This record gives sequence, C-alpha cells and structure tokens, in this order.
Amino acid sequence: MKKRLGIISLFVLLFIAFIIIWNFSYQTGKEEAYIPIIEESQYKTYIPSERGVFERSEFALEYANMPVDKNHQRTLDSYYDNRAYHGAPPSIPHAIKDEKNLGGNTCLQCHQNGGFVEKFNAYAPVTPHPEMINCRQCHVAQNSNTLFKPSNLAKVHAPKVGVNNALIGTPPMIPHQIQMRENCLSCHAGPAAPEEIRVTHPERINCRQCHVPTDRVVREIKPFTRTNSSNDE
Amino acid sequence: MYNSLSTRRSFIKKMAKLSAITAAASMFPGILFASEQEEGIPNGANLDWKKGPCRFCGVGCGILVGTENGKAVAVKGDPNSSVNKGLLCVKGYHQTMCIQSKDRLTHALVKKNGKYVKTPISEALDIVANKMKDTIAAHGKDSVAMYTSGQSTIPEGYVASKLMKGAIGTNNLDCNARLCMASAVTGFLTTFGADEPMGCYEDIDHADYFITWGNNMAEMHPVLFSRMLEQKTRRGAKIIDFATRTTRSSTASNRSILFEPQTDLAVANAICYEIINNGWVNKSFVEKHCNFSKGLTNIGYGVEDKFKFTDKPEKIDFAAYKEFLKDYTPEKVAKYSKVSAKDIKYLASIYGDPNKKVVSYWCMGMNQHTRGTWMNNLMYNIHLLTGKISQPGNGPFSLTGQPSACGTAREVGTFTHKLPKGVVMNEKHRRLAAKIWKVPYERIPAKPTYHATEMFRAVDRGDIKFIWTQAVNPLVSLPKTSRYRPAMEKESCFVVVSDVFPTPTSDVADVILPASWHIEKSGLYGNSERRTQHWDKMVEGPGDTTPDAWMFIEVAKRMGYGDLFPYSEENHVEEIYNEYRQFHEGAKHGMAPLEVLKKESGAIWPYVNGKSTQWRFNEKYDPACKEGSDFDFYGKPDGKAVIWQRPYEPAAESPDKEYPFWLNTGRVIEHWHTGSMTRRIPVLHKAMPNAYVEFHPDDAKVLGIRNGENIKVTSRRGSCVLPASINERGLPTKGQVFVPFFDENMLINDVTLDAFCPISKEPDYKKCAVKVEKA
Repeated sequence: MKKRLGIISLFVLLFIAFIIIWNFSYQTGKEEAYIPIIEESQYKTYIPSERGVFERSEFALEYANMPVDKNHQRTLDSYYDNRAYHGAPPSIPHAIKDEKNLGGNTCLQCHQNGGFVEKFNAYAPVTPHPEMINCRQCHVAQNSNTLFKPSNLAKVHAPKVGVNNALIGTPPMIPHQIQMRENCLSCHAGPAAPEEIRVTHPERINCRQCHVPTDRVVREIKPFTRTNSSNDE
Repeated sequence: MYNSLSTRRSFIKKMAKLSAITAAASMFPGILFASEQEEGIPNGANLDWKKGPCRFCGVGCGILVGTENGKAVAVKGDPNSSVNKGLLCVKGYHQTMCIQSKDRLTHALVKKNGKYVKTPISEALDIVANKMKDTIAAHGKDSVAMYTSGQSTIPEGYVASKLMKGAIGTNNLDCNARLCMASAVTGFLTTFGADEPMGCYEDIDHADYFITWGNNMAEMHPVLFSRMLEQKTRRGAKIIDFATRTTRSSTASNRSILFEPQTDLAVANAICYEIINNGWVNKSFVEKHCNFSKGLTNIGYGVEDKFKFTDKPEKIDFAAYKEFLKDYTPEKVAKYSKVSAKDIKYLASIYGDPNKKVVSYWCMGMNQHTRGTWMNNLMYNIHLLTGKISQPGNGPFSLTGQPSACGTAREVGTFTHKLPKGVVMNEKHRRLAAKIWKVPYERIPAKPTYHATEMFRAVDRGDIKFIWTQAVNPLVSLPKTSRYRPAMEKESCFVVVSDVFPTPTSDVADVILPASWHIEKSGLYGNSERRTQHWDKMVEGPGDTTPDAWMFIEVAKRMGYGDLFPYSEENHVEEIYNEYRQFHEGAKHGMAPLEVLKKESGAIWPYVNGKSTQWRFNEKYDPACKEGSDFDFYGKPDGKAVIWQRPYEPAAESPDKEYPFWLNTGRVIEHWHTGSMTRRIPVLHKAMPNAYVEFHPDDAKVLGIRNGENIKVTSRRGSCVLPASINERGLPTKGQVFVPFFDENMLINDVTLDAFCPISKEPDYKKCAVKVEKA
C-alpha cells in the first residue's frame, strides 16, 4: 500500500512538474515570438499614393541603354490624336476580339510591359496603372468615324513640349495631371514613348526631385497679415 | 543611339561654352524645342556661367549661375562638383527666381511712431550702433544678443563672433543651427571629441547598404538620394528606410521599417544587444580603439526657464555594458517600439555582417530629439562595435539641413559656448582667439550664456533688451512660437532684423536691414562632408542691399571697434577668410587656401599638403593619425572613441486621453525651411501652395475627416488650422499626424513644445501631444 502510494505520488509530482515546466516554457515561447500582429497589418493595408514615382524603376537602366527604333516611334501628335482631350483616357485604336472581356490580363499581356507588335507594326504603349484591371471601364474602342449629331465641342489645347521650364535650361515642369499617371517612366521612357517627351535620363528614377507639377489647385488662403514691414510705402 | 549617362555628362560639360539656345537644347537631346521658346531667348544670348554652392540645404551641390546683362537668368548643376556631378533638385534649379520678388527688402526700414519709414542704410546702421551702445551702457554687456544662422557665410559668422565675443565681450551669440545640428555636435564631441562626420559622400559609391534613420532623403537630400538610387540600380546596393512615417524614401527603398516615435533609442540598443549576443563584435577594433562610458540618466527635458544640466561621464567596462543591454532584447523592445523582433534582428544582421559595407544616414529625426545626443551616441555605438567606421563605404554619416551649418555655425562657432577653435570654457582656446583677434584675453567671458531657446525666453523675461537676427526667421522656426512671438513684440526688447524678404520675424522688428542675397555677395559655405566652397559675387543687389558681414563691420566701426575690423568693403570676404584660417592651422583641421577654393568646386578639410582628407581617423587616409595606429580618434586624448551606455527614456510629452495624437513636423521637397525664399519662387509655390496635416487613413476614417477639410490641431500651447491630407505626400503611422512647417500662414510651431535635449539644448520638433477636430 505504502509502495503504491509512493509510486502514485511520484507520478503526481512528475505530472505537476511537467505542467509547470511546460507552462513556463510555453509562456516564454510566446514572449519570444511576440510580434504585434495587429500593428503590423496596419502598415500593409495602405499603399502610399506616392509610390508610383518609383514604379518601373527596375527597367530604368534598360531604358537608358536601349537603342531608339527611329522607324517605329510614336509622336506626340498621334499620342494626343487618340484622346478626346488632353488628360482623357485614350481610346483603343485596334480591334478587340472578346467583347465580354473586362480587359485585365488580355490587355496587360501587351500593355503591362510593352514590346513590338508585328501586326500593328508598332510598340505597345505601357499603362501607368496596371493594377486597375477593368480597362474597358475607361478605354473604349472607336468603332465608327461618324457622329450621331455634329458638335461644337472644341478640343482643349494640350500642353506643348519645350515651353514648360521656368528658366533657360531648368528641368521642365509637369504640365499635366498626375492622378492615374503617377508612374512617369511608363509614358516617358521605353520604345513606345512619344519621341518628343521621351526622357534622356530614365536612370534618374526620382523624377519629382526636379520636375514638379504646375497644376496644383492653389487654395484660397488668407495671406499672412503683414501689418507693417512691407516695402511699399 | 540613346545617350548613356557618361556621354550626357560630357554633353553638359561642353555646354558651358555654348550659347544659351544650344545649351538648353543639348540638355534635352530627346526633346524637340518648340519655336516659341527660341523666340523667347534674345538673339545672340551669351550667358556668363559662374560657379558657387547652392543656397539651400546642407548637401552643398555645386551650381553654375548663368547671368546676362547683370541678371541671373539660369541655373544648372556644376558638372565639376563631386557632390552632385551636374544634377540639382527642383529648388536648386529655380533658386535665383526669388530675388526679383516684388516685396524684396530693398531699403532699411525704421519704425517710427508705429510706422516703418524708409531710411538710408548708413542712418539705419547709426541707429543700430547707438542703440546697442546705449543698451550696454545702461544694462551691461549681457543685455544685447545676436541670433544668426547656418545660412550665414563663413565671413559673416566670423565677424559676428568677433564682434560679440572679442569686441563687446559677451557670449550672447547663438544661431538657428542650435535647432537642427546641436545634437549632432554633442554626439560627435562626446563620442569622438571632434565635430563633423569622418566620412564623405563618396561612401555612397562603395556601400552595400544604406540605412536611413528617421530621414526622408528623397525629399530632404534629394541629390544624395539620387546618388544612392544610382548605386541601387547599377550595383544592387540596398536602401533600408527606418522611420515613423511612410514617404517617398520608403517607397523607393528595398525595405521600409516603421517605429513608434522616441523608441529609436531602444531599437538602437537592441541592435547592439544582437551584435554582442551573436558575436558580431569586431573585438580587435573595440579593444584597440574604444572606451566604454555611462552618463547621468533621467536628465529632464528643459521645458522650464533657466534649466541647467551637466552630464557626469563615468568609465565602465564591457561586462557592465553587456549587462545593461539585457533590458534591450529584440523581444522586449518589440513590445513598445512596434518594430517586430524579426525586423530588429534583420537590421542587426546587416550591421553585424563583416562582409557588408553599411552607411547610416540621419538628420532631423535623430537630432531634433529630447535625447538627441544619446541617439547620436547610440548610432556611433553600432558602428564602433562592428568597426564599420572611417572606411570607404562604411560609416555613420550625420547630414545637415543648412548650407553652412557645418562651415559657419559649427566651424566658425556661432554658438554661445564656441570660439572659432574650441570653446569659451577653455583658457587655451580663449587665449588663441584673443591673440588672433588682437583683443585682451580677459575680454572673452569664460561662461556660456543663452542657447537659442533660452535666448528667446530671456527676451520674454526682459533680460535681453536688444537682439539682432540675421538670415533667420525664428518666429516661424522656433518651437512654441505662441510664447516667443508676444515676447518679441514687447517694448522691453529692441529688435533688429537683417533679411532679404519680409517675414513674420521682420514684422516685429524695430529696424529692418536689407541684406544681399547669396549670389549678390561673395562668400564661403561649408557643407555636411566638411567641404568648403567659395563663390564670387555674380549680380548686383537692388537698392541699398548690403552683405551681412559688411553691415556687422559698419556697426562695429560705429561702436568704436574699427581697429579690430580693418577690412575693406571690396575685399572683406578674402581678408576675413585668411584671418579665420589661422585658427584651424594644422593637420587636424587645416582649411584649403582661397586660391584653391576659387579654382575648384570646394575642398574637404583637413586640407593637408594640397589634398582633401576624405576619411578622418583612418591612418590610410588621414595624415593627422599617429603612425602605426590604424585608427586614431585623435579628438580624445587617448585616441579612443567612446561607446556610451545610454538608456531609453520616454518623450517629454506623449499622447494621452485629452491629446491623443503625436504631432510630427518636417519639410517637403518643394520648400526649404520657413519658405521665405522658396515660396517666392512661382514654380515651387504652384507645386506646393500651402501646408497641410497628414493623417493615417484609419484615423481619418474614425474621425470622419475627408481630404482637404480644414482641421484644427491643438496642443497645450496653441492651435493651428490646416487642410487635411490623407495618403498624399506621406503616410504617418496610426496615432500620429504630420505637418510641414514652411507655411507662415499656418504656423504649426505655435503648437509644438520647446522641450530640448539637456546636453545639446536642441528642441524636439518631432514629438508632442495634440488633439484634432474639424475647424
């Protein structure tokens, strides 16, 4: 009887010791592996809106070293011709097979990274916003050359090239909106870039270090009341 | 063929000789110029290009200014400058556009019966000199003060110091570099005993990793960042952004790690813990070249007037230091820093890898910190423990924000405790200054007086009766301007403001002196990499505008100190520089002679035997090192750098129930400091017309705030109304709001707290508690 009690109490002791040790190591393990998951996920939810500046920068060196294919260059005129007005989404100038398709991968096959397309004898332009895959929400084909009714709509003058610098030789400012066009290299570098606006130094990457937009809405703000120290008499 | 970078550079080089049209056309070979532009350039335009440093940040890019008929009409990067190699940023390219601003201060204005009256400059200087003399006679030497700038040229700073300390005999001289660089200075002095970085910008070409600490270089040091990006694309170097806010720098970096404000102290200690724990310590380096010390803890925040603090350093051994670090395991630190233990270990592994070259960059994030000196010390600890210092591509690099924060504020020493060589507390240094200045040695007081914040507190208390500010805008840039603006408006203090444009500071002046702008005078600046740069006057300033140095000299003469200032008006820059050079003679700080600086795009000191010293303290590159020492930290008597035991301590004010948000302030790429120059440049104003308050989208959602809505930001000290900005230029962490401080219409410094680092006396602009509500 005594012997049995001894064995039972030994096992009970061992069991208690196991529980204590296991618990302790479990707790320290938790401590060691502590990672504030909730806090971490907060940073991943939001993609900074300025990120586009550096997108495609992995191709920057290639762009810099790429020879220019003079015979297949786009011009700024043809670039604007394809838009209802400056800043409007370009229309699709070629036939589309599947009318039910959103666009997405079908369009991105050529328009995500560009490349020469035998059939159109041209380089495919690169989209600055490949993350938006319902392409045909904004981009539509032109299936007719006629108008339903004639219109008096005047085309807005598109910004010109070479007149956007403030001083002689200073970097030109950005004369167009940046929304949806945050990624500069997609239109200003590579073989599909219109020759007039192709940048000479795509390897610089941080474009907005030197080029700033001109079309920011200047909010009406009460000027600082300079009660006295003005130079005017 | 497309132009490669090198041919583009040679293009630019050739360009200097060509006419304006060809110049512009060759700059954009890919862009066809419209005929309109060519019509805009006068026939036969032949620009005269002159070299100089950029007027704005501390990077110190070389610029070439094109002048025509006495007007500055173009700016381009100086291809001969090794700093920027022909590239600038948007501020640099357009800098000269501000000088033609319509509200330029062209004449002296003296306040008479509450109105400003246009006054001939000589008469205005008479008034200033008389007022200064009368004030000293009535209230003593320490009732007059001068507040200058990291934008003062070397001669300007030198003359200011000589006038105040040598001629008048008061240490009431401080500058705005106290607000940006003081912690860097005390960091250098406590660890190495010698100020300013040991490395240089060429480190960028050698490093494998760039780790930026609380530093948005893509916007604040864009040209250096572009050099880093170049190494990233060409060589595969990696950029790691360690910050409290997601910015352009974060999006361009390989890895962005965010931390809770103030916990950088703990993370740096955790990195040291990991380095030691994993055996990554460079033992021979630490044994031969390092000591261990600890200082006082719980050192306060300086929010009360007349706050005093002196550290008591005490030597410790490695074992004690190791024991101290046990509180900083990555797991423990992860809990309050909100940096995962994994990320801390990742950072440590980069520093710890002996085969990887690492450069750490920081600027205001670490310096504007109530434990700024400690934070700088901790940064050096990491590099000293691993021996990654003073070698090409390896080293800690403290960046500056002003063009001559190093050259003038730190080297000439326009701080209350400084002399051109050494400090006022040291008799030897006072004797040297007295000898070169030719003044009685007793005249230079041995006790420092007011640092920047305390100086304006003294104005408020009525202790200072006369203050002269130069190239500085304290009523926008000081912390807690809600106290110091009314202080400066008080009748008890006579305020003289020298500036180029009217500012909120000149609004409270009794006399406004019209200063020459940068290229309207000759001068010298010194940038972050110890590079001294000279420029000659390029254009005439309008009206009565006068170089600041000359205004100081004129006042000194009127006060009867003419014999101490025997300089000529045409040549004073040269004469002053040559006199100043005597202070730094020798292998440890020798400055390049003027002839060299006139020819070259700057030279790095110590300039020894006709050569710049690029890496200090390393025997291979630095002739001042003892022979056979490998590394010699000769700023300390025993040649050993100090690894400091510095704990984590909380911020002066943390968010609570009533004021639940951190307020962080800073800058944007388009504007420089208080915007008095850049906002007068149309290109920059259009791109960034006003300040804003940035929210994390989650916070905005909870508060129901939409983008652009007016928001009132309130602290215990004051409030400010700004439009909300949600995920635009930057993305602060949850529980934090960010406001740029350039906008004089929206004075965010009315809200900030004037707590400072007790060692450096540099205020913390990055942390205080605020509440926000719809305005």
